[in-house]
Amino acid sequence: MKWISIHSKKRLRILYVLFMFVAVAIVIRLFFLQVLDQKELTQKAEENWDREIPFANERGHITDRKGKNIVTNKLAPTLYFMPSQSKDIEGAAAKIAKVLGVDEQKLLEKMKKKEYLVKLAPEGKNIPYEKAVELQGMQIEGLYSGVDYSRDYPYGTLLSRFLGFTGYDAQGLAGIEYEYDKLLQANSSAIRIFTDAKGNNLPNVKSAWKAGEDGATVELTIDVDVQQVVERELSQAMERYDADQAMAIAMNPNNGEILALASYPTFNPAEYQTVEPAIYNRNLPVWMTYEPGSTFKIITLSAALEENVVDLEKDTFYDPGYSMVAGARLRCWKREGHGSETFLEVVENSCNPGFIELGQRIGNEKLLQYVKDFGFGKKTGSNIAGEASGILFSKDAFGPVEQATTSFGQGVAVTPIQQVQAVAAAVNGGKLYTPYVVKQIINPNTGEVIEETKPEVKKQVIREETSAKVRGALESVVAKGSGRQAYRDGLRIGGKTGTAQKVENGRYKDGEYIVSFIGFAPADNPQVVVYVAVDNPKKATQFGGVVAAPIVGQIIEDIAPFVGIEKSKEQLEKDYRWGDPITVKVPNFIGQTKDDIAKQQYPFRIEWHGEGTKIGNQLPEVDSVIKQDGTIHLYLEN
Amino acid sequence: MALLRGKESYLLLVTTLMLTIIGIIFVYSAGTYWSAVHYSGKMPFYMKQSLYFAVAIVVFLITTRLTILKEQSFWKMAYIFSLVLLVLVLIPGIGLVRNGSQSWIGVGPLTIQPAELTKITVIVYMSHILAQHKTGTSIINWRHGLILILPVVLIMLQPDFGSVFILVVSVFLLFFVAGYPLKLYAIFLIAGVAGLVGLIVTAPYRLKRIEAFIDPWVDPLGSGFQAVQSLMAIGPAGIFGHGFGQSRQKFLYLPEPQNDFIYAIILEEVGLLGGLVILALFVLVIYAGYKFAVRAKTRTSYYAIIGLVTMLTVQAFLNIAVVIGLVPVTGVTLPFISYGGTSLVTMWLIIGIIYQLAK
Repeated sequence: MKWISIHSKKRLRILYVLFMFVAVAIVIRLFFLQVLDQKELTQKAEENWDREIPFANERGHITDRKGKNIVTNKLAPTLYFMPSQSKDIEGAAAKIAKVLGVDEQKLLEKMKKKEYLVKLAPEGKNIPYEKAVELQGMQIEGLYSGVDYSRDYPYGTLLSRFLGFTGYDAQGLAGIEYEYDKLLQANSSAIRIFTDAKGNNLPNVKSAWKAGEDGATVELTIDVDVQQVVERELSQAMERYDADQAMAIAMNPNNGEILALASYPTFNPAEYQTVEPAIYNRNLPVWMTYEPGSTFKIITLSAALEENVVDLEKDTFYDPGYSMVAGARLRCWKREGHGSETFLEVVENSCNPGFIELGQRIGNEKLLQYVKDFGFGKKTGSNIAGEASGILFSKDAFGPVEQATTSFGQGVAVTPIQQVQAVAAAVNGGKLYTPYVVKQIINPNTGEVIEETKPEVKKQVIREETSAKVRGALESVVAKGSGRQAYRDGLRIGGKTGTAQKVENGRYKDGEYIVSFIGFAPADNPQVVVYVAVDNPKKATQFGGVVAAPIVGQIIEDIAPFVGIEKSKEQLEKDYRWGDPITVKVPNFIGQTKDDIAKQQYPFRIEWHGEGTKIGNQLPEVDSVIKQDGTIHLYLEN
Repeated sequence: MALLRGKESYLLLVTTLMLTIIGIIFVYSAGTYWSAVHYSGKMPFYMKQSLYFAVAIVVFLITTRLTILKEQSFWKMAYIFSLVLLVLVLIPGIGLVRNGSQSWIGVGPLTIQPAELTKITVIVYMSHILAQHKTGTSIINWRHGLILILPVVLIMLQPDFGSVFILVVSVFLLFFVAGYPLKLYAIFLIAGVAGLVGLIVTAPYRLKRIEAFIDPWVDPLGSGFQAVQSLMAIGPAGIFGHGFGQSRQKFLYLPEPQNDFIYAIILEEVGLLGGLVILALFVLVIYAGYKFAVRAKTRTSYYAIIGLVTMLTVQAFLNIAVVIGLVPVTGVTLPFISYGGTSLVTMWLIIGIIYQLAK
């Protein structure tokens, strides 16, 4: 029509297009909201609608191999509050605060939150069951108590450094609790209430039960009975020797199952905050790395026998008290030397030059290979939290001196569990088993086995015949040599002592030792390997033979019925080669230093007197005869 | 019937009727729980809305027969009457305060919003004035400004920012079609920003709304509440929605779900696809409306129809933009669909006027 200008029509079209742009913008925005952001917004909306009163399921139990509960749960309800359902929030807060004995103002602040369901934490989290019942009886509007649990430890401190503990939200923070957290975790149930925004129940919609799931039961290979014996012995040793730390492992050498794993000092997992992190974070038998000392000679012995480079009975060796290796003078612990001895006596006496000789006969590369084959230098695969791998010489650095010191257990750093793994292989017929601590994981409701650990042979390290020879030699160490304090009638214990100077910042620490003993029984068919190490015992001579051997002997005696060891009659007779079976000649100590004494494995107690660096006098005098576990007094002077 | 001539006359009527019926259906779904909780014992919203619809149709039919609506003198009087009502609503005792704004006048059981009527009278009266423009002279005229500013100031005093926005934007777009020079719009833009700042300074609650708009999740239970609740209705619904009647947010989570935020509930129940149907119907209303305008017999009618359709569209898009979180919460209804007598009857009054002017 003529009264409408072309110009105006054009502008109208522009306006129309403008509106189309707006419409397209709306479509794009809707696409973003309903397609791209759908998940995120759904999650937020669900939080918004969430009217679930949590109904906790139980975290998985941890049991021993026979199903005895080591870690369980106890009922400890948690309080929830729906502010919109209460007409008198102040009054409710006052009542709750009084029952729980908590700060009323802080509680009120939480209860006044503009939320639909407030968790009254930490004040009302995991409260004692009786208090929950008391509050329930008061019929406070809007207050709900949700079923919740906290960890319970029927055996107290037993196994604590291995089990670990759980945190505020029942999450595993250390040890088995941490390592198996995913399986142990429960999936909470909930009563799902369908309400409008004000918390009123919706008409025609019933509350629903959202089923959760209990956490899985972790069944350990640990035997509580064995563990109790081991921990009792360690705790006594801690006290008797005023030691810094002590640790022990008991393992079945025929499959790698760990029967006991102990560290001292210990703590109560329910009160983990009261001890230092160094205690709850370090599971000593797998974490601690140190020079093994003479226990390592078992590896050299096994390698020498496997390589057929020695006949223990027939070959003899002369020990002048030292050995020269690449210009370095490596001394025997016995200053004057063992003189002429068979190689069996070398083993019994733990004679260092004798072992250097064995190491040299095996050869440089082969010795290092055996050390690696026996599992040293890498983690055992036990799947225990915080395991260390130890330190070996690299191939390039493995010169004659390193080879010689390795032969008798110095210059390498290993963990207790590596030693147990290796010695088990040396005595069980040559099979290197992966140590393990979790037997199986079970669904507690159906009994269905979710996961099962099967014994795993990593390698055949030595032949069965070689292993039999090793067992024989080690039995005679206990019967006739440096390990005699582990001897028990009829139990056929074999083993080896070890004493190692502690290393700090790359240097040997003066006068501080880790003394150890690794034993097994019975010698003809080993059922258990027990390792005990005491870190820095102070009230006695610091020798494995004196401190650790009797502990292992006692442990094996007491656990024998639990691990199926019967008393045997074919045992090697207890025998002392140095003259009188119950007495020894006193060696000459005068002029030696405290460290000299410590490195050697004297079979008697030594009491120190005075101050100084060198020994000026001794009682009884040289060559006098004393009882084998008698006391020698040494007087220090500068 | 002389009322219906040409495709677009059918199209406009069919689309607006469909929107109204969809509105009643969703007022039923969205508002029933709210009315049961807040107005228990009273007639449910959808029943009332149906009655309003009947009234609206009567108003529509009467309007299409009132030839007086073509007279400029009538609209001059109507304009002045609107201004009087806008003054009256500000007088305490006559004007009723709801949601912080003094926007309603009660007459017996009825309440009306003078601003709603004013939007119509300003646009149609303005169209008469614009139509007087003689080709060859400058279109800019001080009277245009005056006609707009008087009611704007009065509505601002209530305050009702939503209505002011719709009115100002619609009139500016009408000026644009009438041939106002483009450079003037740059000046308007500056003035608009300045005005917005002024508004925020005078009423701090607006700043809160804008803050809540920029990030509603900062305070989801306070200033960002409606925006957040709206998004939580829309987002989870996806392309197909939860199904009719299956809204979760209508259970008091989203306040007054039958009203300003009804589009959120529609999107929640019938999803993106359902939302697009509504949007498409509005687009058809614009299309049919403008076609109608081009067919009009006088320049006044041409401007007035464009103005009214534009106003309706601006309101619809503003409402949708609020619901989907594109602009801050302003409190305007979705034409034809939102619950409310004033809103629905006004819409059909507008449609009636359009048909009357198109004759």
